[in-house]
Amino acid sequence: MTITKATLDAFIDDHLNEQDSIRVEKAVRESPELHTLLKSIVASRDIGDHSIGAIWRREHLSCPTREELSSYKEEALDTQRIDYIKFHLEIVGCNACQANLLDLNSAKGPKANPAAREKHRQFLENSKLLLPKKQ
Amino acid sequence: MASTEEQLLVKKIQDGDEQAWSTLILRFEGRLTNYALRKIKDHSSCQDLVQETFLGFLSNIGNFDPSRYIQSYLFGILGNKINDLLRSRDKSKIIDHAVDSSGNQLDAGHADSAMGASTWYRGDEKKKLENDALIKCLNLLIEHLLQKKDYLKLKSIELLFVKGVSNLEAANILGIDNRTVASHRHYANNFIIEHLKKLHLSPDVFPQFSQQDQD
Repeated sequence: MTITKATLDAFIDDHLNEQDSIRVEKAVRESPELHTLLKSIVASRDIGDHSIGAIWRREHLSCPTREELSSYKEEALDTQRIDYIKFHLEIVGCNACQANLLDLNSAKGPKANPAAREKHRQFLENSKLLLPKKQ
Repeated sequence: MASTEEQLLVKKIQDGDEQAWSTLILRFEGRLTNYALRKIKDHSSCQDLVQETFLGFLSNIGNFDPSRYIQSYLFGILGNKINDLLRSRDKSKIIDHAVDSSGNQLDAGHADSAMGASTWYRGDEKKKLENDALIKCLNLLIEHLLQKKDYLKLKSIELLFVKGVSNLEAANILGIDNRTVASHRHYANNFIIEHLKKLHLSPDVFPQFSQQDQD
């Protein structure tokens, strides 16, 4: 794996898969040059430099919609689009789309146990108190 | 731009509508929890982070631009919170993590990426305009490639820009020639630069364009 400036950019955004992330972290720990480069990227972000990758990732610019992911699951899209979404999920490793797909596939949902359901209910009730007051 | 229905949902929450708030939580809670579970295996911690994410959103609801995608914003806040938690557990940090992920710090409608007190936090109108312009150009590029069904070029550009691999690695992943990948990168850069010029912005303000061809 070649570690480029763009790779480090993706690493900072936590957009690499687990294996690549471990590889990059190990390389950065072992290489003063890479560590310096990583610091310079963080510093350049701090002063407001723009990175195509960071913006693309943050705005989810090429992510399929939730509806498209649902159709992907049902294989109800044209083959090219299915192939692209598979690439986006598996090769690019988009965490947001993988989470969406898991959610679509989940029959039980995230609140399967009673404790979690109760915690959810309490949160819903308490958070309503923070809503802006009706005019 | 967010759908009309989603924009209406935000406006209702801004007006204090409890039902709209419940709808938003029910709609996004599952995907956010699954996102957190990919990084943090403890379900209870994930649930806490997701709830903090919603609170972060709610505390900034007055400034939230309804045209912005809620999902991107929520994933942005959650990503910061996950990173804060993971790095607080890791004693040997390799990056100085200077950003507090509190939703209260997010400015008018921008959940930032994983770390770095970057552009959005500068409060600099000019930087925001530049970012918005770049988002517009990238959207145009993606739409253009999708319309042409040029998925190979889109995959190539996504690997280079988003995953950050080298030309050679992208070529190997896609099973194409290294020079073809280089031409895709060149195409994307030119497309973006041309459209930035149309928006009366100099590509010089984006340092990446002078560095893209280095690898």
